[in-house]
Amino acid sequence: MKIVTANRLSDGRVIYAGVDNQPVDRIDQASVLDDPAAEIVLAEVAGRPEVFVNPYLVEVQDRTPSGRDRLKERIRSAGPTVGHSVDLDVNGGLA
Amino acid sequence: MYRYDEFDHAVVRERVEEFADQVARRASGALTEDEFKPLRLMNGVYLQLHAYMLRVAIPYGTFNSRQMRRLAHIARTYDKGYGHFTTRTNIQYNWPALTDLPAILSDLAEVEMHAIQTSGNCIRNVTTDVFAGAAEDEIEDPRPWCEIIRQWSTIHPEFSFLPRKFKIAVIGAEKDRAAIRTHDVGLQIVKGDDGGTAFRVFVGGGQGRLPHIGQEIASAVPAADLLAYLTAILRAWNLLGRRDNIHKARIKILVASLGIDAFREEVDRHYATLRREDLRIPEDEAERIKAYFAPPPFEDLPKVSAPFDRALLADPDFARFARNNVRRHRQAGYASVVVSLKPVGGVPGDITADQMEAVADLAERYSFDELRAAYEQNLVLPHVRLDDVPAVWRALRQAGLATANADLATDVIACPGLDYCSLANARSIPVAQALSKRLADLDYQEKLGPVRINMSGCINACGHHHVGHIGVLGVDRKGEEYYQITVGGSPDEQAALGDIVGKSLPSEEVAPAIQRTLDRYLQIRAEGERFIDTVRRVGPEPFRDAIYETLDAANA
Repeated sequence: MKIVTANRLSDGRVIYAGVDNQPVDRIDQASVLDDPAAEIVLAEVAGRPEVFVNPYLVEVQDRTPSGRDRLKERIRSAGPTVGHSVDLDVNGGLA
Repeated sequence: MYRYDEFDHAVVRERVEEFADQVARRASGALTEDEFKPLRLMNGVYLQLHAYMLRVAIPYGTFNSRQMRRLAHIARTYDKGYGHFTTRTNIQYNWPALTDLPAILSDLAEVEMHAIQTSGNCIRNVTTDVFAGAAEDEIEDPRPWCEIIRQWSTIHPEFSFLPRKFKIAVIGAEKDRAAIRTHDVGLQIVKGDDGGTAFRVFVGGGQGRLPHIGQEIASAVPAADLLAYLTAILRAWNLLGRRDNIHKARIKILVASLGIDAFREEVDRHYATLRREDLRIPEDEAERIKAYFAPPPFEDLPKVSAPFDRALLADPDFARFARNNVRRHRQAGYASVVVSLKPVGGVPGDITADQMEAVADLAERYSFDELRAAYEQNLVLPHVRLDDVPAVWRALRQAGLATANADLATDVIACPGLDYCSLANARSIPVAQALSKRLADLDYQEKLGPVRINMSGCINACGHHHVGHIGVLGVDRKGEEYYQITVGGSPDEQAALGDIVGKSLPSEEVAPAIQRTLDRYLQIRAEGERFIDTVRRVGPEPFRDAIYETLDAANA
């Protein structure tokens, strides 16, 4: 099964095509599609470049990325695995 | 340091206005991503895994407290409260919104900063010795020449659409602290036959997929002809470079395929025919630029400092910091202080907004308002009175910035890797963190002495793994992260590429394997040998054995 992902134009954040092809932030809100449906949705969101930048398909199993790029897609969906955006105190800062 | 004149201000202001218009047209949908991409790349804007990324230039790594405070303000206002210093002495913001970019660039322009030519196929930020103007072995401060190159190369019409990016580094001492032979062009200041300033020129260095060490193309180009000679090099490459294949477009491929002698002939042919008079650097102009980099008003001080010596005796932690992070200065009674951005378990090169402000305060109070960014992803306070070093250390400690590991095993250079970068195949940061935690004991690190470990999350080599004493390259094996280890690389005047020791390791094996490598060095080193000296003497074999010994045992 597939989901459709892209980056959002305004802030570059990871988005997915959800219900009615609306952009959603969370991978668990993405519409899970069979191959023909995925191609149709991909074409539809590609026609909305004011929201979806560089849309493409991601292979999933149980809403979890499962293809060759599964690690990259998991990091895209969950954010960086380490560092300041996870824990702002990691470098011993004043915070 | 250099201050903008009216031309610099005008160029930057006009670019901010132009890019603001381009961003507005992109945000409205009038420009497609394909149309916008080359425009944003000319302004340091990438689209990474999670967000846009903005790379801000710190020309030749020199900046002041006002600029550092502005970087902190941007981190806090438009990002997640931190920034990341890179191996090109730039700073990257990982989370800016597209629509905030004009405001950020406008804020930067107010303090004479910008993001022009920090990406794209153009001449990138010129780098230099982080101790320029402070090192005692320097024959001349290289920064005026960096500034002259910056002015010449900024929005240069002939060199704005090169086959690929082009990186230049300049040093003013025999000792290479800027890795010039890993650059497209490396320049070393020497004395010419007439006793004047001249440049020894290396060309065709580079890392990435096909690494090469730069080769000497000229032994002493007179300083006044520097821009003419650089023009000839770039022109030769611009005409002959492989624009058909992105992996073969860098000048290193052209130099390697023609051979240095044939490439030199090409360059000499252009050098002979270009309008050299137009490109000659007028002496008064060179002097005008040099005046910006005149030494600060140093006090006449004794070589030794009683407060410094007292602190050495009173506090072993300070003594350790002094041993590892304080560098000799050309001026008696002064030192350069390395501010490590490599705390135990931290992200190499990351710094919070609060920490930026703490360092800005120290630069203003103790270092003639000067700061440096090092390509090793650290900062330097270049001109600190020895008397003041204890106070600087206490303030750094308060800010979480006093890790006493400069040039030691945990001073790891690492790219952002797959946690951020859309080109990466594997993560770099978690592997660097695991290594940092494993080798955290500073007694152990001091016993090892200087050793440079570099990590890249893909073959593009932003973490300079080819020239690490120990290099780690992340690779993708069927969707799993593996890491290839090299030994014996070196970025300095004895530049060398590391040897791949064998098959790649899973991530959890990397830190233990590196520790075994370092332990093997401790067993076999001769008196006074640094890690790299031992590798050069014995070759990679003993280290290969150390890296794979437990794996071989498990497979036996």
